[in-house]
Amino acid sequence: MAAQAFAEAAVLSGHHAQAFPYFGAERRGAPVRAFARVDDAKITIKSQIYEPDLVVILDESLLEIDPVVDGLKAEGRAVVNTMKGPEELDLGVSVDCAAVDASIIALETIKAPIVNTAILGALARMTDLVTIEAVKQAISDRFGEKLGPQAAAANSLAAELAYQRAKVGRCKGERPIVQRKVWLPDWEKVPPGVVLAQDSVEGVAIGPGSSLTNFTGTWRTVTPRYLKEKCIRCLRCWFCCPEGCIKRQPDDYEKWDYRYCKGCGICSNVCPVQAIVMEKGVKEW
Amino acid sequence: MVMKVLSADHAVAWGVRLARAEVVPAFPITPQTLIMELLAEFIYDGEMDADFIPAESEHSVMSVAVGASAGGVRTFTATSSQGLALMHEMLYAAPQTRLPIVMANVNRSLGAAAGIWAEHNDSMPERESGWLQVYVEDGQEALDMTIQAYRLAEDRRVLLPIMVCLDGFILSHTVERLELPDQRAVDDFLPKFAPQDVLDPEEPKTFNPIVPPEYAMEMRYQLDRAMDGASSVVAEVDSVFASSFGRSYGGLLEKYRMDDAEYALITLGTATSTARTIVDELRAAGKRAGLIKLRFMRPFPHEKLREACKGLKALGVFDRSVGFNRFGPVFTEVRNSLYDLKIPITDHIGGIGGRDVTLNDMRDIYAALERSTENGKVRPVTWHGLRGVQR
Repeated sequence: MAAQAFAEAAVLSGHHAQAFPYFGAERRGAPVRAFARVDDAKITIKSQIYEPDLVVILDESLLEIDPVVDGLKAEGRAVVNTMKGPEELDLGVSVDCAAVDASIIALETIKAPIVNTAILGALARMTDLVTIEAVKQAISDRFGEKLGPQAAAANSLAAELAYQRAKVGRCKGERPIVQRKVWLPDWEKVPPGVVLAQDSVEGVAIGPGSSLTNFTGTWRTVTPRYLKEKCIRCLRCWFCCPEGCIKRQPDDYEKWDYRYCKGCGICSNVCPVQAIVMEKGVKEW
Repeated sequence: MVMKVLSADHAVAWGVRLARAEVVPAFPITPQTLIMELLAEFIYDGEMDADFIPAESEHSVMSVAVGASAGGVRTFTATSSQGLALMHEMLYAAPQTRLPIVMANVNRSLGAAAGIWAEHNDSMPERESGWLQVYVEDGQEALDMTIQAYRLAEDRRVLLPIMVCLDGFILSHTVERLELPDQRAVDDFLPKFAPQDVLDPEEPKTFNPIVPPEYAMEMRYQLDRAMDGASSVVAEVDSVFASSFGRSYGGLLEKYRMDDAEYALITLGTATSTARTIVDELRAAGKRAGLIKLRFMRPFPHEKLREACKGLKALGVFDRSVGFNRFGPVFTEVRNSLYDLKIPITDHIGGIGGRDVTLNDMRDIYAALERSTENGKVRPVTWHGLRGVQR
């Protein structure tokens, strides 16, 4: 949505633009890439961008797991959602950078940690391809149509605040850019039928049993709390948990394996006696 | 005329709305989903006067479409990949019954290996179904062709269904600046659908009965001639559209910088856009490179293609699909058409399973074609972007 709204803002600012996402795993909060091109002429290229002029990083923690600044030109620029100032920030490449506390702004304005509109305000500070007015207009068009005028106003305000609060400076380029471990075999080395044995996992978790190493518990924003004294041992939660992270005890009471609990709330929903309540935040009991 | 920033999927939905389709049967599948979501919104909000009919499968979707079209109403549906495969049986009901259904197929690979990304292996096997097939390059063309598709399909000289094919994600989900045609201009371009024969209980007619060998062959030949005849209607519709809306796509194919070209590549869909950039680059360096954007796989532009390729010293074909046991389907059809022109033709397979088709892939292809003009050795089939040694 951020890339699309940026493209729209660029068009409203008098340019040609295109934007497109590249989806990997489909879940909310999963790392996702999106690309945008802006030009004064019609854009006749349909492929991903490998040497960006500008990188927008919506989640600072991505720097630890993904080479997000790979290919960024030496004279390139960056926009980062961070609590740090630009000079404290180390992207692994020293570039002009707008640092903004987009998560805080989002919580203040739209009351949710969704930063894709706030970050656009900071982007308008970093580039003259789009004006802040065009960004706010694009946000109103895109979000207003789907979520109504109130959401449009809150999201526009998020962009405006980010535009004002963004700090522009030069970030550090000291840390080594993290390289993701990838499994990219030659065609002859791909197992026929793509049948993967348990020990064939190399870099990517796709073989059987790989969900053991994939701690989906980091996804959750709410946590089920088990009130054992209310439990009637009907086992519905145990039966319905899609992650198998409710462990049935010998006496039929339950235990949670929070390493894998995504906080989906199904257990709480199926419980006939309200013995499972969902509490805000990532917790463990 | 209004300017909008839309994804190509949404552009198709706008085309359907402007064409005033009246029946929209639907079954969800990625990456077509955005089309049906927007159409459902249009219809629910009363901005489009149509029946949205959710069916239990794509097989049923096409059955509904066939029934609706036979009933004399403008019909639209959209699908991708496995959805198109599940429709396969019912696809055949439309052409021989001469029903001008318009369907968007958002190209996506067919599993296994399962994926949601662009590949042409879903629509290519349907070349023999009797449907017209057009492949579009950007959002504007997706919108314009959806409107043109109705005029083309409903022309009495054609009366055949048409598939508007667009690459999944890299086109379907790409937002671009485009012009939304004016409703009144579209109404003038596309008068109300007035079929000669309508399935109507008040005036009973038999549609599509069982056909013994005494007649089937003549019917098939009639269909073959209709498909062949559609070629000139494609060009006609393109020029009428151009005079109303100021945009021409060249009809069956578009020649890009082909004057005095020594070597050229044939592309479909989004690969065309990327190839244009490289042709411009090569031309700026004084090379005589050209590009042919093949728009229609059905009707296949045998004559136009021969005309466009005359004088070339080397020709490449970009296939975003695999024929297995060597050549891709586009290559096979192209070489068949150009057989006696004696141009060295090579096949270039890429973008399989949604692999990004990069500028460097295109540079490699054009470098190979240039080598080919100098009698250099070029593999008959090259997979671009493949890891490992090809043999």
